[in-house]
Amino acid sequence: MLRTVRSIRDKVMYVVLATTFVALVVAAVALVVYETVTYRDATIADLTTQADLIAITSAPALSFNDPAAASENLSMLRVRPGVLAASVYGRGGELFAIYRKPDARAEVPERPEADGARVAGDRIVVQQPIVERGERVGTVYIVAQYELMRRLGNYLVILGAVLVLSLGVAFIVSALMQATVTAPILEVTDVAERVIDQRDFSLRVKRSSDDEVGTLVDAFNAMLAEVGRRADEIEASNRSLQTEMVERRSAEDALRAADRRKDEFLATLAHELRNPLAPLRNGLALLKLASERPDLARDARDMMERQLDQMVRLVDDLLDVSRIATGKLALRRARIDLKDVIAAAVETARPFIAARSHRLEIALPDGPLPLEADATRLAQVFANLLNNAARYTEPGGRITIDAQVEGREVVVRVVDTGIGIDPAMLDRVFELFAQADQSLERPTAGLGVGLTLARALVALHGGAVVARSEGSGKGSEFVVRLPLAARPIATVPESQRQPSGLRSAGHRVLVVDDNRDFASSLAMLLSELGNEVRVANDGAQGLDEAKAFVPQVAFLDIGMPKLNGYRLAEMMRAESALAHTHLVALTGWGQEKDRRAAQDAGFDRHLVKPVKLEQILDILETLPTREGSSAGPRPDAGASSS
Amino acid sequence: MVAVVRTAVAIVALAASALAFAQAPLERAVKAAYVYKFLAYVDWPATAFDAPDAPFVIGVLGSEAIADELRQIVAGRSVGERAVQIKRLREGEPATGLHVLFVGRPETARLAALARSLHGQPTLVVSESPGALGAGSTINLVVATDGRVRFEIALDAAEHNGLRLSSRLLALAQSVRPGGP
Repeated sequence: MLRTVRSIRDKVMYVVLATTFVALVVAAVALVVYETVTYRDATIADLTTQADLIAITSAPALSFNDPAAASENLSMLRVRPGVLAASVYGRGGELFAIYRKPDARAEVPERPEADGARVAGDRIVVQQPIVERGERVGTVYIVAQYELMRRLGNYLVILGAVLVLSLGVAFIVSALMQATVTAPILEVTDVAERVIDQRDFSLRVKRSSDDEVGTLVDAFNAMLAEVGRRADEIEASNRSLQTEMVERRSAEDALRAADRRKDEFLATLAHELRNPLAPLRNGLALLKLASERPDLARDARDMMERQLDQMVRLVDDLLDVSRIATGKLALRRARIDLKDVIAAAVETARPFIAARSHRLEIALPDGPLPLEADATRLAQVFANLLNNAARYTEPGGRITIDAQVEGREVVVRVVDTGIGIDPAMLDRVFELFAQADQSLERPTAGLGVGLTLARALVALHGGAVVARSEGSGKGSEFVVRLPLAARPIATVPESQRQPSGLRSAGHRVLVVDDNRDFASSLAMLLSELGNEVRVANDGAQGLDEAKAFVPQVAFLDIGMPKLNGYRLAEMMRAESALAHTHLVALTGWGQEKDRRAAQDAGFDRHLVKPVKLEQILDILETLPTREGSSAGPRPDAGASSS
Repeated sequence: MVAVVRTAVAIVALAASALAFAQAPLERAVKAAYVYKFLAYVDWPATAFDAPDAPFVIGVLGSEAIADELRQIVAGRSVGERAVQIKRLREGEPATGLHVLFVGRPETARLAALARSLHGQPTLVVSESPGALGAGSTINLVVATDGRVRFEIALDAAEHNGLRLSSRLLALAQSVRPGGP
């Protein structure tokens, strides 16, 4: 560990050891200096004291001339191994007594020297006077070992040992204690390395101390959290950017494809619209020449009619497709029998089938096929399929149409023996302006609108249409599935439907629309049909009119100044007298949400502009004849304007 | 060179003859010095002095020479605050008012009587006769075999006279006769 992480741990160790070492060396130097200075003084003081003691004890011996006693006194220096030799001199300086340490090679002088202490090499000499009653009676002289160097040597040895021991102890203590300092730091380092390696910002360092390292740990963790959060944010925004980019790219591709199709469509459209024009022009020329040839004129007229019909049908289909695409096509559902619809479609398609010399076979079940559907639109679907079959089959082919009930659905199949469809094209034939054969030599080209319209209309009815083919040249089969109506068809007597002119008359009708032309024209029409009609051009006026007039039916525009149609409907519904008034919304908005909004506001019906007269007449026809209400007391009609 | 040698020989010869002749005077001088020095090692009771600065009085009996030596020694000297007086005692003269009584060898016969008369008196009796301690002397000066002057001490006699002798003095004594319990 100590090898691998050569940083803080080692540094702390070095600091501790260096500090210990320096402190010890400084202490040692101070000690040696102190010792050097004090040892001399202490030794001199010690020897002087010793000499003084000898002087005091030897004074009587000198006084009474007793060298033996003096020698005895001197011999007490035996207990001081440092003393090598000593002597006592008498009053006149004569050697009185002498002491020599055994084995010591030290001499005392024959006569006393100067009093005081002096150091000579490894010897120290102290000489003191012996004074008795203020009178100098002799001299004491001591020679001792001056051991400074040896002592210093000993000191250095001891200090060296202490130094080594201290460093060892410091090393151990530091190694034990630094764990509390370095362990948290190493943990931070460890986590930092793991974060870098694994890119895992969820790692955290465990806080194990309350000191600066603890603060560092907290800050580090907070930083990790912040970095992690930002990294996540960047990643998330990258992901969403990528998704967005993919979406944008696909949208762009779709747009480009749509643009391409539009160009193709425009080219085809121009071509198709132009096609009937040449025969028409020829017909016109024929008519000019044919004043005296009635048969020629008739042929020309017939041909021109056919061309015109084709053109009208083309434009109608285009308009329908456009309406479906913009959600403006509204089905007029009614209870119908599919067999009637197929019959109508066959009638429509029969001239073209006959012109192509095809044989048509029809196979329908015996019972009725009840549907809740728009008969006109469904007839359009099957006519288109039949026309399509006739067009893409070589003259003299066979076309079959049959219908079967499968569960709660009815399945209608239109089968031909024509050119067939390449498997890759099976789905694409329903795309707008798709052509099975893009070549200029194609025998009979349609605009590619019929199938698109058929699929859209079937879808509006909650059904589906698919194309099948064994392949090119093997004929095609179009299968339409439509949901059957739950209840059997209400047998509406023809007689009740026919006299619509009568049933749509005699009602009190209110028209509210800020488009004055529309309002007044509708009012004129309804008046002509024998209804009593009032007109208002904004919501507020409409409300007043409604309260005064109490209409049986009210046609209300939605977008109006002052009071919009929804609010107006709500306020009318709030009037008890108007509770049973049939409210019809007339609006340019045909989305589902608009219908719901109308329903919520209290409207009974929702018609999308432009409204056909038939739709209005239908509404008036379905109104119950309320003779009783018309006979009752009515609000003053004079208050309203027409 | 010859003159120096000759002079040195003459001095040595003179000194040798002087030592041989002046044996007694040297011994007397040493003894006188000892008597004087004893003052420093003996404590007298306060009653032994009339005043704090009253002088020591040393009486000398039977040795005119020693009295003279003492006079020379104490001239101009004092022990502590006190001066030292030397008093030559005649025969029959009472040995009273003395701090030290030196009894010379000629008067040894009277020593016992004197000591008895001084019994209880704060007087240090110093003698120079062998066996004088038995006669009541406190310190008896003797000449040792090496010719040095030594002394012996009778502590019982010192105690009888109310004197206290320094242990340092006792340490130098040739012999010490112990005192009472």
